[in-house]
Formats: sequence, C-alpha cells, structure tokens
Amino acid sequence: MSLPPHRVDYSPIIDRPTLKWPGNARVAVWVAPNIEHYEYLPVYDGLRNPWPRVPYPDVQQYSHRDYGNRVGFWRMLEVLDKHGIKCGVSLNMAVLEHYPEIAEAMVERDWDFMSHGIYNTQYIETYTEEQEREFYRDSIATLRRHTGKQLRGMLGPAMSNSARTPDLMAEAGLIYHADWMHDDQPVPIRVKTGRMISVPYSIEVNDSALFGNHFEGEYFAKICKAQFDRLYREGEESARSMCIALHPHQIGQPHRIKYLDEMLGYVMSHEGVWQATADEIAEYYMANYYDGMMALLEGRG
Amino acid sequence: MDHPHYPWRPMVKRTPLRWPEGARVALCVIVNLEHMEWRPEEGSYWRREMSGGFGNRPFPDYTRKTHREYGHRVGIFRVLDALEAVGIRPTIAMDLMTAQNYPFLVEHCLGRGAEIIAHGVSVTQMITSEMKEAEEREYIARCIEGMREATGATPRGWLGPEFGESARTPGLLAEAGVEYVCDWTNDEQPYAMTTPSGSLISLPICLDLDDVNALWERRMDVERYAKLVRESLDRLLEDGETSGRLLVLNLRPWLVGQPFRIGFLEDTLEHVTAHEGVWTATGSEIVEWYREAAV
Repeated sequence: MSLPPHRVDYSPIIDRPTLKWPGNARVAVWVAPNIEHYEYLPVYDGLRNPWPRVPYPDVQQYSHRDYGNRVGFWRMLEVLDKHGIKCGVSLNMAVLEHYPEIAEAMVERDWDFMSHGIYNTQYIETYTEEQEREFYRDSIATLRRHTGKQLRGMLGPAMSNSARTPDLMAEAGLIYHADWMHDDQPVPIRVKTGRMISVPYSIEVNDSALFGNHFEGEYFAKICKAQFDRLYREGEESARSMCIALHPHQIGQPHRIKYLDEMLGYVMSHEGVWQATADEIAEYYMANYYDGMMALLEGRG
Repeated sequence: MDHPHYPWRPMVKRTPLRWPEGARVALCVIVNLEHMEWRPEEGSYWRREMSGGFGNRPFPDYTRKTHREYGHRVGIFRVLDALEAVGIRPTIAMDLMTAQNYPFLVEHCLGRGAEIIAHGVSVTQMITSEMKEAEEREYIARCIEGMREATGATPRGWLGPEFGESARTPGLLAEAGVEYVCDWTNDEQPYAMTTPSGSLISLPICLDLDDVNALWERRMDVERYAKLVRESLDRLLEDGETSGRLLVLNLRPWLVGQPFRIGFLEDTLEHVTAHEGVWTATGSEIVEWYREAAV
C-alpha cells in the first residue's frame, strides 16, 4: 500500500500498538548536538554547493562554524553537564581526527554517536553504490578506532542521502536512520537485507533552523517547552520521542546559552522522562517493538 | 478587470450579505492533505522551492518529503481534534494521490464529518499555463472521478495544488461541475465567477493567515501567528455588522500539526469560536448559503 520509495508503510499514530519506554517513561528525550567539520576548501560535487556565497574559501561561514568547535562546544558542554545529559551526537567522523580534545570530552562522558558523515561538506547524493559502501566502512572503522563503539545509525551528512541509503546502511550493520522527519515514534523502514528503523531527528526543534532565521533564544526555549509539553501529554497513553537538535556555533553563543540551560532545566524537572540517545532508543525499539510492528504492517498488506 | 473571470465589484458597492442567524463572520477551515511524489512524473510542473524540509535539495531529499508526510501520519489527528473540540467541521482539501493511497485517512476524515474537496493530483503535479487545454481538462476530470471513487462523493469544491491555475482553469472547473474554487485570495466574501461554462463561486482563502505563508514563508513566531488570527477575526466581527464577512483559514497538518504549534492553534480556535456572531461552516455550506442569499 505504501507509495514509492516503498520504505515506510503508512501507519497513522492513532492506530498502532501502544508504545512503552523503559520505566514507563512518557517521552524519550534525545539531545543531539551536531559536532561538525566543514571543509575550508571542499570539492564541489556539481550538485550541491557547500559554500554558495563566494568562491572558496568562504572564510566568514567557515570560521562561524569553526567557532563552534573552538568556543561554543565548551560553553554548551557546561550546560549539558549541569543537567547530566547523555548526548546522542550527530558526528562528522573527521572531528575525531581533527579535534582530539572534543573527542576526549565526548568519550569521557560516554556519549553515543551516530554518523553525520565524514565532513559536513561531502554529500552522499552523487556517490556510486560502491563509494557509499566504502563510506560506511570508513565511518564504522573511524568510530571504533576513536571510541571503541559500534556505529548504529546515521543522519546523512548535511542530511544528504541516496535512494539506496537505507539498504546500504542495513547491509553495513547499522540499525537506524534519522533522516525521516515523519513521526513522533520510531517506526520500521523496509530494507533489502537486515532490519532498519527510523528514529526521527528534528529540523524544527533545531537551533540552526531557528537562529539561521530571525528567531532567538527565547523562542527556542519556548518551542522546545511547547513541544515537550504536548508530547508529554500524549505520551501518557503511548510513548513519544523528542529530538532536540543543537549546533555549538549557534546555541553556544554567549547570548543564547542561558536559554538552553533554562529549557533543559524545565524538561528534566519532569517525572517520566527517559533521557536517551538515539542508539538507546533504536536498540530498545528494535528489541521490543520491531517484530510486532512488522507483523502488524504485513497483516495490513 | 484585465481578465474575464469576474467583474470589478468593490466591497463598498455590494448589497449587504447576511449569514445565518445574524452571524457576522463565516469561518471555514480548509486542511490540506497533499502528497509530494518520490520522483515527480516527467513533464509535470512542481515548485522546487515549495515549503517543508530545507527547501530545494537534490534528489532524493528525504527531509522535505518526510517532513510533509508527518502531516499524514501524525499532524492530521491533532488538527482534527483541535477543530472538533470547538465544533468546527473541517473542509479537507485532499489530493488524488492521498485519496487513493491513504484509505484510512479518507475514512477517518469522513468519520469526523469533514467535507472533502479536490486538491489536484499531487503537490508535485500542479496546474499551470504550461498545460495544454485538453491536458488540463483531462487532469480535472481525472481528479473529480478519482475523488468520487475514493470518497464515495463527487467533490463540490476545488483548491489547486500550490494555488495553481492556468488562465482557463475557472472555466474548466465549472465545465467539470465543480461548484466552488479556493485559489483566489482576493476577498472577504464569496463571489460569483464568470465562466463560459456555468456557475462557479470563488471562496477566497486569506493568504496572510495561510499557515505556510505566515509560519513558513514569513517565518512568523507561532504565538504571534495565533494572535494574528485572533486580531483578524476581531476586526472582521466589527466589519461584519454591516455586511457579513468570510474567513477561510488554510492549514497544513505537517506544519501547524507539529507538537509545539498545535497548542497555539487550539487556543486561537477557542478564542475565535467563543464569540457570538461566528458561523463555522464547511465550504459547501457557505457556498450554498451565499447562492441562496446573493442578489
């Protein structure tokens, strides 16, 4: 019944098995800082220009993001630590090579990592199938080398993907894809081999989407709280997941950081919050709900 | 006018319009359910910059497609609940691909008492002047017939995907038996269009309050948006003393149905329906009344 690309069967949220999180939590809150490296002199793939403002390098935009790693990350880290947040990082793998202090800070805290590609200026759309396979091999090896962790999921670099992406991710042993903005719960994604689920990231509850426009810190805090309140209310009946997407060069600015503090204080003051990483959400769903949901979807034809 | 679709008739020169039971404002909420195709058909016209996701990104662009799909999976139910809570029967502009591929939604919307109107084939197959006349006639006929099959009733109203029309569209819609069209954003009352092929009423949407226009294209604070709708209604209630006014709100579940936006919509709907003098109705109910009342 599903339309192309026949990846995700239609399942309205009001007509699904009840979802329960560990501890009967109402909302899984996933804090997803994007720890990124944008190249100074990227190679234009002919399809999407990473720095369209001026001929390369775009020093203004490059350094604005570099600020995130030099300054913003550390300010953001203080607030995350204050609230005891275990992050599910959206990670450009090259960060692990270029910025050892950042790698160390993240590993020390036992954060989880999903791939956000190697560089945020190298996109998947133009990859051949073999290049994309190699890309997963590289990402998996890099993460293991630096953190000892097994790579479980991906948000495409700068949210780029190919039509083959879910199949190739599953083939490489990954279990979740975060690029689907379609739901407030994880759901299965159909793949050729293996098993894959969607753990939705957010492009709306996202500092970059807001601060790249005219919005400011108060609005970020306001919509995060409103998002949480609604999901918390609905999650009493069937659990929900909420992703809060951050970028150190945005939220780590001196004029914005207090709003992150205020917002996390609000969210974490509630009972019934499962503060989780995307890896944890995916693993839990895979172990407890994937089979049942697939059987239900198959039954509906 | 510089086109034949309606005569010039300013608000101040019209016979006063009276709504049922002395209402001053007729409020209609049109909720769009539209499908963005994985690979739009060769030759079809679609706005590359259409709302959702990050705008125009290379294929496959899961971001924008799935952002919009959120409306079908999650957002629609919040929006329908919000409307039901204040007793508004929704008017659903449903495209053909949604009607044919989401039977659950068709049944659910009808079960909520919604009127379903035609909304083209998909948001990635618009009507524009690049369409030949025969093609456009066939497109409209296919939509009407397909919607009749999928919903069990012939749609009486029409909203083009992305408000798309050619210069021939009103005539072709009237020829196909469509009773009203919502593509024109130019009035606070319904009005009769002039077509070579019979009657067609224009039921204008308020573009400034359209959620994509306000929340997406103008990136308005959702709280300010809610206030905007309230302010608009307050003023229409004043002006509706002399001649009834119309407010058609156009909403997308993938946008206004997001968890952080829906509460503001609920509060606003509560405010606007709490007033005496607001008649909430579907598109067809308003058009029927207008046809009877019009002089």
